[in-house]
Amino acid sequence: MNASGLEIRQSSAGMWGTSTGQRKMPVVSKYIDTSTCIGCKACEVACQEWNDLQVVPTAQAGTYQTMASLDANYWNLIEFRELEADGNFSWLMRKDQCMHCADPGCLKACPAPGAIVQYENGIVDVNPEACIGCKMCETGCPFDVPRYAARTDKMAKCTLCVDRVQVGLEPACVKACPTGCLHFGTKDDMKALAASRIDQLKSSGFAHAALYDPPGVGGTGVITVLAHGDHPEWYGLPKDPRVPTGVRFWKNVLRPVGVIAFAATFFAMVGHYLTFGPKKPKDGGEKTKGDV
Amino acid sequence: MSEAAFPGRNSRTGVGDAAVVRAREVEDVLVDGEIVRHRLSSRVIHWTVALFFFVCLFTGLPIWTPLFGWMATLFGGLSVCRWLHPWSGAVFSVASLVMLVHWFSEMKLRGKDSEFLTPGGLVRYFRYRGEDSEVGKYNGGQKVLFWAAALGALGLLASGIVMWFPERFGHELRQLSYVAHDVAFILFFAMIIGHIYLGTAAEPGTFRSMTGGTVTKEWARLHHPRWYREVVGEEANRSSARRR
Repeated sequence: MNASGLEIRQSSAGMWGTSTGQRKMPVVSKYIDTSTCIGCKACEVACQEWNDLQVVPTAQAGTYQTMASLDANYWNLIEFRELEADGNFSWLMRKDQCMHCADPGCLKACPAPGAIVQYENGIVDVNPEACIGCKMCETGCPFDVPRYAARTDKMAKCTLCVDRVQVGLEPACVKACPTGCLHFGTKDDMKALAASRIDQLKSSGFAHAALYDPPGVGGTGVITVLAHGDHPEWYGLPKDPRVPTGVRFWKNVLRPVGVIAFAATFFAMVGHYLTFGPKKPKDGGEKTKGDV
Repeated sequence: MSEAAFPGRNSRTGVGDAAVVRAREVEDVLVDGEIVRHRLSSRVIHWTVALFFFVCLFTGLPIWTPLFGWMATLFGGLSVCRWLHPWSGAVFSVASLVMLVHWFSEMKLRGKDSEFLTPGGLVRYFRYRGEDSEVGKYNGGQKVLFWAAALGALGLLASGIVMWFPERFGHELRQLSYVAHDVAFILFFAMIIGHIYLGTAAEPGTFRSMTGGTVTKEWARLHHPRWYREVVGEEANRSSARRR
Protein backbone atom coordinates (compact mmCIF):
# COMPACT_ATOMS: atom_id res chain seq x y z
CA MET A 1 0.00 0.00 0.00
CA ASN A 2 1.39 3.33 -1.01
CA ALA A 3 -0.76 5.80 0.86
CA SER A 4 -0.93 4.93 4.53
CA GLY A 5 -1.88 8.54 5.22
CA LEU A 6 -5.15 8.38 3.32
CA GLU A 7 -8.51 7.47 4.76
CA ILE A 8 -9.79 4.08 3.59
CA ARG A 9 -13.37 4.01 2.33
CA GLN A 10 -13.61 0.29 1.68
CA SER A 11 -11.34 -2.71 1.72
CA SER A 12 -11.44 -6.10 0.02
CA ALA A 13 -12.83 -8.85 2.27
CA GLY A 14 -13.56 -6.02 4.66
CA MET A 15 -15.11 -6.56 8.04
CA TRP A 16 -16.22 -4.10 10.67
CA GLY A 17 -13.57 -1.54 11.40
CA THR A 18 -11.76 -1.53 8.06
CA SER A 19 -13.10 1.92 7.25
CA THR A 20 -13.19 4.78 9.72
CA GLY A 21 -14.67 7.49 7.51
CA GLN A 22 -13.47 10.21 9.87
CA ARG A 23 -11.69 12.53 7.49
CA LYS A 24 -13.45 13.55 4.32
CA MET A 25 -11.64 14.46 1.17
CA PRO A 26 -12.82 15.27 -2.34
CA VAL A 27 -13.01 12.52 -4.92
CA VAL A 28 -10.23 12.99 -7.44
CA SER A 29 -10.19 12.13 -11.08
CA LYS A 30 -7.90 11.90 -14.05
CA TYR A 31 -9.17 13.56 -17.19
CA ILE A 32 -8.29 12.06 -20.55
CA ASP A 33 -9.16 13.77 -23.80
CA THR A 34 -8.73 11.14 -26.50
CA SER A 35 -9.16 13.78 -29.20
CA THR A 36 -5.94 15.61 -28.27
CA CYS A 37 -3.79 12.56 -27.62
CA ILE A 38 -0.96 12.41 -30.20
CA GLY A 39 0.25 8.95 -29.19
CA CYS A 40 3.68 10.15 -28.04
CA LYS A 41 3.81 7.63 -25.17
CA ALA A 42 5.40 10.10 -22.77
CA CYS A 43 2.82 8.96 -20.21
CA GLU A 44 3.90 5.34 -20.66
CA VAL A 45 7.54 6.26 -19.98
CA ALA A 46 6.66 8.47 -17.03
CA CYS A 47 4.58 5.66 -15.51
CA GLN A 48 7.39 3.14 -15.89
CA GLU A 49 9.91 5.53 -14.37
CA TRP A 50 7.91 6.84 -11.46
CA ASN A 51 6.67 3.39 -10.42
CA ASP A 52 10.09 1.76 -10.95
CA LEU A 53 8.54 -0.84 -13.22
CA GLN A 54 10.82 -3.24 -14.99
CA VAL A 55 11.33 -3.22 -18.73
CA VAL A 56 8.75 -5.30 -20.56
CA PRO A 57 9.68 -6.45 -24.08
CA THR A 58 7.74 -4.51 -26.67
CA ALA A 59 5.79 -6.34 -29.35
CA GLN A 60 5.37 -5.25 -32.93
CA ALA A 61 1.87 -6.05 -34.12
CA GLY A 62 1.73 -3.80 -37.16
CA THR A 63 0.73 -0.68 -35.24
CA TYR A 64 2.49 1.92 -33.13
CA GLN A 65 1.14 0.31 -29.97
CA THR A 66 3.91 -0.64 -27.54
CA MET A 67 2.56 -4.11 -26.79
CA ALA A 68 -0.62 -6.10 -27.11
CA SER A 69 -2.09 -5.33 -23.71
CA LEU A 70 -1.30 -4.27 -20.15
CA ASP A 71 1.21 -6.21 -18.10
CA ALA A 72 1.96 -6.61 -14.41
CA ASN A 73 4.96 -4.37 -15.15
CA TYR A 74 3.16 -2.05 -17.60
CA TRP A 75 0.20 -0.24 -16.08
CA ASN A 76 -0.47 2.39 -18.70
CA LEU A 77 -0.76 1.57 -22.38
CA ILE A 78 -1.83 3.82 -25.25
CA GLU A 79 -3.91 1.71 -27.61
CA PHE A 80 -3.85 2.70 -31.28
CA ARG A 81 -6.97 2.01 -33.29
CA GLU A 82 -7.76 2.86 -36.86
CA LEU A 83 -11.30 3.88 -37.70
CA GLU A 84 -13.00 4.30 -41.02
CA ALA A 85 -16.42 5.86 -40.68
CA ASP A 86 -18.52 7.98 -43.03
CA GLY A 87 -15.72 7.82 -45.58
CA ASN A 88 -13.25 9.38 -43.15
CA PHE A 89 -10.20 7.78 -41.65
CA SER A 90 -9.20 8.57 -38.10
CA TRP A 91 -6.81 7.33 -35.52
CA LEU A 92 -8.34 6.64 -32.12
CA MET A 93 -5.94 6.63 -29.24
CA ARG A 94 -7.06 5.33 -25.88
CA LYS A 95 -5.21 5.30 -22.59
CA ASP A 96 -5.72 1.80 -21.18
CA GLN A 97 -5.24 1.73 -17.43
CA CYS A 98 -7.15 1.12 -14.22
CA MET A 99 -10.35 3.18 -14.30
CA HIS A 100 -10.59 3.50 -10.48
CA CYS A 101 -14.28 2.64 -10.39
CA ALA A 102 -16.42 4.02 -7.60
CA ASP A 103 -17.83 0.49 -7.35
CA PRO A 104 -14.70 -1.59 -8.00
CA GLY A 105 -15.34 -5.14 -9.19
CA CYS A 106 -11.77 -6.17 -8.36
CA LEU A 107 -12.24 -5.16 -4.74
CA LYS A 108 -15.60 -6.94 -4.61
CA ALA A 109 -14.12 -10.19 -5.93
CA CYS A 110 -10.94 -10.10 -3.83
CA PRO A 111 -10.92 -12.57 -0.89
CA ALA A 112 -7.77 -11.24 0.80
CA PRO A 113 -8.47 -8.65 3.50
CA GLY A 114 -6.87 -5.34 2.60
CA ALA A 115 -5.27 -6.52 -0.65
CA ILE A 116 -7.35 -4.00 -2.60
CA VAL A 117 -8.48 -0.79 -0.94
CA GLN A 118 -10.41 2.24 -2.03
CA TYR A 119 -9.35 5.47 -0.39
CA GLU A 120 -11.75 8.19 0.58
CA ASN A 121 -10.63 10.16 -2.50
CA GLY A 122 -11.79 7.29 -4.74
CA ILE A 123 -8.41 5.88 -5.71
CA VAL A 124 -8.35 2.07 -5.85
CA ASP A 125 -5.00 0.76 -4.67
CA VAL A 126 -3.33 -2.63 -4.33
CA ASN A 127 -1.46 -3.89 -1.31
CA PRO A 128 1.00 -6.54 -2.54
CA GLU A 129 1.71 -7.65 1.01
CA ALA A 130 -1.88 -8.85 1.43
CA CYS A 131 -2.39 -10.11 -2.14
CA ILE A 132 -2.52 -13.90 -2.37
CA GLY A 133 -2.35 -14.13 -6.16
CA CYS A 134 -5.72 -15.85 -6.61
CA LYS A 135 -6.62 -13.83 -9.77
CA MET A 136 -10.23 -13.35 -8.66
CA CYS A 137 -9.85 -9.60 -9.27
CA GLU A 138 -9.27 -10.35 -12.96
CA THR A 139 -12.75 -11.86 -13.11
CA GLY A 140 -14.26 -9.02 -11.12
CA CYS A 141 -12.87 -6.23 -13.31
CA PRO A 142 -15.17 -5.15 -16.18
CA PHE A 143 -12.23 -3.42 -17.91
CA ASP A 144 -9.75 -6.33 -17.93
CA VAL A 145 -7.10 -4.34 -16.09
CA PRO A 146 -5.55 -6.30 -13.19
CA ARG A 147 -2.52 -8.32 -14.23
CA TYR A 148 -1.07 -11.28 -12.37
CA ALA A 149 2.72 -11.56 -12.10
CA ALA A 150 3.76 -15.20 -11.85
CA ARG A 151 7.24 -14.25 -10.62
CA THR A 152 5.91 -12.55 -7.51
CA ASP A 153 2.50 -14.29 -7.31
CA LYS A 154 0.90 -10.85 -6.95
CA MET A 155 -1.54 -8.70 -8.84
CA ALA A 156 -0.50 -5.30 -10.14
CA LYS A 157 -2.23 -2.33 -11.72
CA CYS A 158 -2.22 1.46 -11.91
CA THR A 159 -2.44 3.14 -8.50
CA LEU A 160 -3.29 6.55 -9.95
CA CYS A 161 0.11 7.46 -8.45
CA VAL A 162 -1.52 7.64 -5.06
CA ASP A 163 1.92 8.13 -3.52
CA ARG A 164 2.17 11.37 -5.50
CA VAL A 165 -1.46 12.37 -5.07
CA GLN A 166 -1.36 12.12 -1.28
CA VAL A 167 1.41 14.72 -1.16
CA GLY A 168 -0.35 17.08 -3.55
CA LEU A 169 1.24 16.09 -6.88
CA GLU A 170 -0.53 14.99 -10.01
CA PRO A 171 0.03 11.46 -11.41
CA ALA A 172 3.29 10.97 -13.33
CA CYS A 173 1.51 10.47 -16.65
CA VAL A 174 -0.34 13.78 -16.28
CA LYS A 175 2.92 15.52 -15.42
CA ALA A 176 4.55 14.18 -18.59
CA CYS A 177 1.74 14.77 -21.09
CA PRO A 178 2.81 17.49 -23.60
CA THR A 179 -0.56 18.23 -25.20
CA GLY A 180 -2.85 18.91 -22.29
CA CYS A 181 -4.74 15.76 -23.10
CA LEU A 182 -4.33 14.68 -19.46
CA HIS A 183 -5.43 16.66 -16.44
CA PHE A 184 -5.84 15.84 -12.80
CA GLY A 185 -7.97 17.35 -10.06
CA THR A 186 -11.20 16.92 -8.17
CA LYS A 187 -13.80 14.99 -10.08
CA ASP A 188 -16.12 18.00 -10.16
CA ASP A 189 -13.42 20.15 -11.73
CA MET A 190 -12.54 17.48 -14.27
CA LYS A 191 -16.18 17.03 -15.24
CA ALA A 192 -16.49 20.79 -15.78
CA LEU A 193 -13.36 20.72 -17.94
CA ALA A 194 -14.81 17.80 -19.89
CA ALA A 195 -18.09 19.63 -20.43
CA SER A 196 -16.37 22.62 -22.02
CA ARG A 197 -14.19 20.37 -24.21
CA ILE A 198 -17.28 18.42 -25.34
CA ASP A 199 -18.95 21.71 -26.33
CA GLN A 200 -15.86 22.54 -28.39
CA LEU A 201 -15.92 19.12 -30.06
CA LYS A 202 -19.61 19.41 -30.84
CA SER A 203 -19.13 22.77 -32.46
CA SER A 204 -16.30 21.22 -34.48
CA GLY A 205 -18.66 18.67 -35.98
CA PHE A 206 -18.42 15.80 -33.50
CA ALA A 207 -22.13 15.72 -32.73
CA HIS A 208 -21.85 12.66 -30.50
CA ALA A 209 -18.92 13.80 -28.39
CA ALA A 210 -19.49 12.68 -24.84
CA LEU A 211 -17.86 11.97 -21.52
CA TYR A 212 -17.18 8.34 -20.62
CA ASP A 213 -17.95 8.06 -16.89
CA PRO A 214 -19.95 4.81 -16.84
CA PRO A 215 -22.73 4.83 -14.22
CA GLY A 216 -22.84 0.99 -14.13
CA VAL A 217 -19.74 1.01 -11.93
CA GLY A 218 -20.80 4.15 -10.06
CA GLY A 219 -18.65 6.35 -12.28
CA THR A 220 -14.90 6.12 -12.62
CA GLY A 221 -11.90 7.95 -11.24
CA VAL A 222 -10.54 8.14 -14.77
CA ILE A 223 -12.93 9.99 -17.05
CA THR A 224 -12.50 10.07 -20.79
CA VAL A 225 -13.72 12.53 -23.41
CA LEU A 226 -14.67 10.62 -26.54
CA ALA A 227 -15.22 12.39 -29.84
CA HIS A 228 -17.40 9.44 -30.84
CA GLY A 229 -19.15 9.22 -27.50
CA ASP A 230 -21.96 7.09 -28.87
CA HIS A 231 -19.47 4.36 -29.74
CA PRO A 232 -17.12 3.75 -26.79
CA GLU A 233 -16.48 0.27 -28.21
CA TRP A 234 -14.61 1.92 -31.11
CA TYR A 235 -12.04 2.86 -28.49
CA GLY A 236 -12.06 -0.57 -26.89
CA LEU A 237 -14.19 0.60 -23.98
CA PRO A 238 -17.20 -1.45 -22.85
CA LYS A 239 -20.50 0.26 -23.55
CA ASP A 240 -22.11 -0.36 -20.18
CA PRO A 241 -19.51 -1.83 -17.81
CA ARG A 242 -20.78 -3.40 -14.62
CA VAL A 243 -19.38 -5.58 -11.91
CA PRO A 244 -20.15 -9.01 -13.44
CA THR A 245 -23.51 -10.44 -12.37
CA GLY A 246 -21.88 -13.71 -11.29
CA VAL A 247 -19.44 -11.88 -9.03
CA ARG A 248 -22.19 -9.74 -7.50
CA PHE A 249 -24.44 -12.75 -6.89
CA TRP A 250 -21.50 -14.69 -5.47
CA LYS A 251 -20.48 -12.02 -2.99
CA ASN A 252 -23.77 -10.25 -2.22
CA VAL A 253 -26.17 -13.18 -2.09
CA LEU A 254 -24.46 -16.53 -2.01
CA ARG A 255 -21.87 -15.75 0.63
CA PRO A 256 -24.25 -14.48 3.34
CA VAL A 257 -26.71 -17.27 2.51
CA GLY A 258 -23.83 -19.76 2.71
CA VAL A 259 -22.68 -18.48 6.10
CA ILE A 260 -26.24 -18.81 7.42
CA ALA A 261 -26.58 -22.32 5.94
CA PHE A 262 -23.21 -23.16 7.44
CA ALA A 263 -24.36 -22.17 10.92
CA ALA A 264 -27.82 -23.70 10.44
CA THR A 265 -26.26 -27.10 9.74
CA PHE A 266 -24.56 -27.06 13.12
CA PHE A 267 -27.68 -25.98 14.94
CA ALA A 268 -29.77 -28.58 13.11
CA MET A 269 -27.49 -31.34 14.38
CA VAL A 270 -27.43 -29.99 17.93
CA GLY A 271 -31.20 -29.61 17.80
CA HIS A 272 -31.59 -33.15 16.54
CA TYR A 273 -29.43 -34.53 19.32
CA LEU A 274 -31.40 -32.64 21.96
CA THR A 275 -34.72 -33.72 20.44
CA PHE A 276 -34.12 -37.32 19.48
CA GLY A 277 -30.86 -38.20 21.21
CA PRO A 278 -28.72 -41.10 20.10
CA LYS A 279 -30.36 -44.00 18.34
CA LYS A 280 -30.70 -46.95 20.69
CA PRO A 281 -32.17 -50.41 20.31
CA LYS A 282 -35.85 -50.34 21.28
CA ASP A 283 -35.53 -53.54 23.31
CA GLY A 284 -32.23 -52.55 24.85
CA GLY A 285 -30.39 -55.09 22.74
CA GLU A 286 -31.04 -57.84 25.21
CA LYS A 287 -32.11 -60.30 22.55
CA THR A 288 -28.71 -60.58 21.00
CA LYS A 289 -26.91 -60.93 24.25
CA GLY A 290 -24.76 -63.98 24.39
CA ASP A 291 -23.74 -66.33 21.64
CA VAL A 292 -25.49 -66.73 18.34
CA MET B 1 -26.22 -53.38 29.30
CA SER B 2 -23.87 -56.10 30.38
CA GLU B 3 -20.19 -56.18 29.76
CA ALA B 4 -20.62 -58.76 27.04
CA ALA B 5 -22.53 -56.23 24.98
CA PHE B 6 -19.30 -54.38 24.23
CA PRO B 7 -16.68 -57.11 24.15
CA GLY B 8 -14.36 -55.14 21.94
CA ARG B 9 -13.92 -52.50 24.58
CA ASN B 10 -13.08 -54.95 27.30
CA SER B 11 -9.33 -54.80 27.66
CA ARG B 12 -9.37 -57.11 30.65
CA THR B 13 -10.54 -60.13 28.74
CA GLY B 14 -8.96 -59.04 25.49
CA VAL B 15 -12.05 -60.10 23.62
CA GLY B 16 -12.24 -58.29 20.33
CA ASP B 17 -8.54 -57.88 19.74
CA ALA B 18 -8.59 -60.88 17.46
CA ALA B 19 -11.39 -59.24 15.54
CA VAL B 20 -9.37 -56.05 15.13
CA VAL B 21 -6.42 -58.08 13.87
CA ARG B 22 -8.68 -59.90 11.48
CA ALA B 23 -10.12 -56.58 10.30
CA ARG B 24 -6.92 -55.87 8.43
CA GLU B 25 -7.85 -58.29 5.70
CA VAL B 26 -11.50 -59.26 5.60
CA GLU B 27 -14.92 -57.78 6.10
CA ASP B 28 -18.30 -59.23 7.06
CA VAL B 29 -17.04 -61.96 9.36
CA LEU B 30 -17.78 -62.72 12.97
CA VAL B 31 -14.69 -63.00 15.14
CA ASP B 32 -14.84 -63.39 18.91
CA GLY B 33 -18.27 -61.81 19.18
CA GLU B 34 -17.38 -58.82 17.00
CA ILE B 35 -18.27 -58.23 13.40
CA VAL B 36 -15.62 -56.91 11.04
CA ARG B 37 -17.22 -54.05 9.10
CA HIS B 38 -14.38 -52.15 7.43
CA ARG B 39 -11.09 -53.80 6.60
CA LEU B 40 -7.87 -51.81 6.69
CA SER B 41 -7.88 -50.70 3.06
CA SER B 42 -11.43 -49.34 3.38
CA ARG B 43 -10.47 -47.38 6.45
CA VAL B 44 -7.26 -45.98 4.93
CA ILE B 45 -9.17 -44.82 1.85
CA HIS B 46 -11.90 -43.25 3.97
CA TRP B 47 -9.47 -41.38 6.20
CA THR B 48 -7.34 -40.21 3.28
CA VAL B 49 -10.41 -38.62 1.74
CA ALA B 50 -11.40 -37.20 5.14
CA LEU B 51 -7.93 -35.77 5.82
CA PHE B 52 -7.76 -33.91 2.54
CA PHE B 53 -11.37 -32.80 2.93
CA PHE B 54 -10.42 -31.10 6.17
CA VAL B 55 -7.26 -29.56 4.73
CA CYS B 56 -9.42 -28.19 1.89
CA LEU B 57 -12.04 -27.03 4.36
CA PHE B 58 -9.71 -25.17 6.68
CA THR B 59 -7.66 -23.63 3.87
CA GLY B 60 -10.80 -22.76 1.90
CA LEU B 61 -12.88 -21.19 4.67
CA PRO B 62 -10.56 -18.19 5.24
CA ILE B 63 -10.60 -17.53 1.49
CA TRP B 64 -14.38 -17.95 1.44
CA THR B 65 -15.11 -15.28 4.03
CA PRO B 66 -13.01 -13.13 6.36
CA LEU B 67 -15.18 -14.46 9.21
CA PHE B 68 -12.91 -17.50 9.13
CA GLY B 69 -9.76 -15.51 8.41
CA TRP B 70 -8.25 -16.66 11.70
CA MET B 71 -8.07 -20.22 10.35
CA ALA B 72 -5.39 -19.14 7.89
CA THR B 73 -3.08 -18.78 10.86
CA LEU B 74 -3.18 -22.56 11.32
CA PHE B 75 -1.37 -22.95 8.01
CA GLY B 76 0.87 -19.89 8.09
CA GLY B 77 -1.30 -17.30 6.41
CA LEU B 78 -3.72 -16.77 3.59
CA SER B 79 -1.03 -17.07 0.90
CA VAL B 80 -0.22 -20.57 2.13
CA CYS B 81 -3.93 -21.43 2.08
CA ARG B 82 -4.23 -20.16 -1.47
CA TRP B 83 -1.34 -22.46 -2.47
CA LEU B 84 -2.33 -25.45 -0.35
CA HIS B 85 -6.04 -25.41 -1.14
CA PRO B 86 -5.87 -26.37 -4.85
CA TRP B 87 -3.19 -28.99 -4.29
CA SER B 88 -5.00 -30.65 -1.40
CA GLY B 89 -8.13 -30.41 -3.55
CA ALA B 90 -6.33 -32.32 -6.26
CA VAL B 91 -5.31 -35.05 -3.80
CA PHE B 92 -8.85 -35.07 -2.40
CA SER B 93 -10.19 -35.64 -5.91
CA VAL B 94 -7.82 -38.53 -6.57
CA ALA B 95 -8.61 -40.09 -3.18
CA SER B 96 -12.33 -39.65 -3.88
CA LEU B 97 -11.92 -41.44 -7.18
CA VAL B 98 -10.20 -44.36 -5.43
CA MET B 99 -13.02 -44.39 -2.90
CA LEU B 100 -15.59 -44.38 -5.69
CA VAL B 101 -14.01 -47.44 -7.30
CA HIS B 102 -13.52 -49.15 -3.95
CA TRP B 103 -17.17 -49.02 -2.91
CA PHE B 104 -18.80 -48.78 -6.31
CA SER B 105 -20.52 -52.18 -6.41
CA GLU B 106 -21.59 -52.16 -2.75
CA MET B 107 -23.29 -48.78 -3.08
CA LYS B 108 -25.77 -49.61 -5.82
CA LEU B 109 -29.23 -48.50 -4.78
CA ARG B 110 -31.58 -51.44 -4.22
CA GLY B 111 -35.17 -51.85 -3.07
CA LYS B 112 -36.18 -49.15 -0.65
CA ASP B 113 -32.81 -47.37 -0.78
CA SER B 114 -34.10 -44.72 -3.13
CA GLU B 115 -36.49 -43.53 -0.41
CA PHE B 116 -33.53 -41.61 0.92
CA LEU B 117 -33.55 -39.49 -2.20
CA THR B 118 -36.81 -37.94 -1.01
CA PRO B 119 -36.95 -35.43 1.86
CA GLY B 120 -39.61 -37.59 3.53
CA GLY B 121 -37.32 -40.59 3.60
CA LEU B 122 -34.52 -38.57 5.15
CA VAL B 123 -36.81 -37.08 7.77
CA ARG B 124 -38.16 -40.52 8.67
CA TYR B 125 -34.62 -41.74 9.11
CA PHE B 126 -33.61 -38.82 11.31
CA ARG B 127 -36.75 -39.36 13.38
CA TYR B 128 -35.72 -43.00 13.85
CA ARG B 129 -38.99 -44.09 12.26
CA GLY B 130 -39.91 -46.71 9.73
CA GLU B 131 -37.11 -49.08 10.48
CA ASP B 132 -36.59 -51.62 7.79
CA SER B 133 -35.49 -55.13 8.74
CA GLU B 134 -34.14 -55.55 5.22
CA VAL B 135 -31.34 -52.98 5.59
CA GLY B 136 -28.12 -54.57 4.39
CA LYS B 137 -24.54 -53.57 5.03
CA TYR B 138 -25.22 -50.03 3.88
CA ASN B 139 -28.55 -48.31 4.22
CA GLY B 140 -30.05 -46.06 1.59
CA GLY B 141 -28.79 -42.94 3.33
CA GLN B 142 -25.21 -44.14 3.26
CA LYS B 143 -25.49 -45.05 -0.38
CA VAL B 144 -27.06 -41.74 -1.33
CA LEU B 145 -24.34 -39.94 0.64
CA PHE B 146 -21.72 -41.93 -1.24
CA TRP B 147 -23.05 -40.91 -4.65
CA ALA B 148 -23.72 -37.35 -3.56
CA ALA B 149 -20.14 -37.10 -2.28
CA ALA B 150 -18.82 -38.38 -5.60
CA LEU B 151 -20.98 -35.89 -7.48
CA GLY B 152 -19.99 -33.09 -5.11
CA ALA B 153 -16.30 -33.90 -5.48
CA LEU B 154 -16.70 -33.80 -9.24
CA GLY B 155 -18.40 -30.39 -9.05
CA LEU B 156 -15.73 -29.04 -6.71
CA LEU B 157 -12.97 -30.38 -8.95
CA ALA B 158 -14.44 -29.01 -12.17
CA SER B 159 -15.12 -25.55 -10.78
CA GLY B 160 -11.85 -25.64 -8.84
CA ILE B 161 -9.79 -26.22 -11.97
CA VAL B 162 -11.33 -23.14 -13.58
CA MET B 163 -10.59 -21.12 -10.44
CA TRP B 164 -7.03 -22.43 -10.33
CA PHE B 165 -6.28 -21.48 -13.95
CA PRO B 166 -8.80 -18.72 -14.71
CA GLU B 167 -6.73 -17.26 -17.56
CA ARG B 168 -7.42 -20.36 -19.63
CA PHE B 169 -11.18 -20.01 -19.45
CA GLY B 170 -13.79 -17.50 -20.52
CA HIS B 171 -15.16 -14.75 -18.34
CA GLU B 172 -18.63 -16.28 -17.94
CA LEU B 173 -17.27 -19.71 -17.05
CA ARG B 174 -15.06 -18.16 -14.36
CA GLN B 175 -18.02 -16.41 -12.75
CA LEU B 176 -20.06 -19.58 -12.96
CA SER B 177 -17.25 -21.55 -11.33
CA TYR B 178 -17.03 -19.22 -8.33
CA VAL B 179 -20.76 -19.64 -7.78
CA ALA B 180 -20.69 -23.39 -8.44
CA HIS B 181 -17.73 -23.95 -6.11
CA ASP B 182 -19.55 -22.17 -3.29
CA VAL B 183 -22.84 -23.98 -3.86
CA ALA B 184 -21.12 -27.36 -4.10
CA PHE B 185 -19.12 -26.62 -0.97
CA ILE B 186 -22.14 -25.58 1.09
CA LEU B 187 -24.09 -28.71 0.12
CA PHE B 188 -21.03 -30.92 0.60
CA PHE B 189 -20.33 -29.39 3.98
CA ALA B 190 -23.91 -29.84 5.22
CA MET B 191 -23.76 -33.45 4.07
CA ILE B 192 -20.45 -34.14 5.80
CA ILE B 193 -21.61 -32.55 9.05
CA GLY B 194 -24.62 -34.90 8.94
CA HIS B 195 -22.31 -37.80 8.16
CA ILE B 196 -19.97 -37.04 11.05
CA TYR B 197 -22.88 -36.50 13.43
CA LEU B 198 -24.53 -39.81 12.51
CA GLY B 199 -21.20 -41.60 12.74
CA THR B 200 -20.46 -40.33 16.23
CA ALA B 201 -23.01 -38.76 18.57
CA ALA B 202 -26.26 -39.87 16.95
CA GLU B 203 -25.39 -43.52 16.50
CA PRO B 204 -22.99 -44.67 19.21
CA GLY B 205 -20.83 -47.61 18.29
CA THR B 206 -20.47 -46.52 14.68
CA PHE B 207 -17.21 -44.63 14.88
CA ARG B 208 -15.18 -47.67 15.92
CA SER B 209 -16.02 -49.31 12.62
CA MET B 210 -13.78 -46.70 11.01
CA THR B 211 -11.00 -46.97 13.60
CA GLY B 212 -10.54 -50.58 14.65
CA GLY B 213 -12.79 -51.76 11.85
CA THR B 214 -15.20 -53.77 14.01
CA VAL B 215 -18.70 -53.32 15.42
CA THR B 216 -20.69 -55.14 18.03
CA LYS B 217 -23.39 -57.60 17.11
CA GLU B 218 -25.93 -55.38 18.85
CA TRP B 219 -24.94 -52.44 16.69
CA ALA B 220 -25.14 -54.49 13.52
CA ARG B 221 -28.52 -55.90 14.46
CA LEU B 222 -29.92 -52.47 15.19
CA HIS B 223 -28.62 -50.57 12.21
CA HIS B 224 -28.09 -53.20 9.54
CA PRO B 225 -30.37 -56.17 10.40
CA ARG B 226 -30.10 -58.05 7.12
CA TRP B 227 -26.33 -57.64 7.03
CA TYR B 228 -26.26 -58.90 10.61
CA ARG B 229 -28.29 -61.98 9.74
CA GLU B 230 -26.06 -62.67 6.75
CA VAL B 231 -22.89 -62.41 8.80
CA VAL B 232 -24.03 -64.50 11.74
CA GLY B 233 -25.65 -67.09 9.50
CA GLU B 234 -29.31 -66.51 10.22
CA GLU B 235 -30.14 -65.58 6.67
CA ALA B 236 -31.28 -68.56 4.62
CA ASN B 237 -29.69 -67.48 1.37
CA ARG B 238 -26.82 -65.63 2.95
CA SER B 239 -23.82 -64.50 1.05
CA SER B 240 -20.56 -65.85 2.36
CA ALA B 241 -18.03 -63.50 3.89
CA ARG B 242 -16.25 -61.63 1.20
CA ARG B 243 -12.51 -61.78 1.02
CA ARG B 244 -11.04 -59.20 -1.29
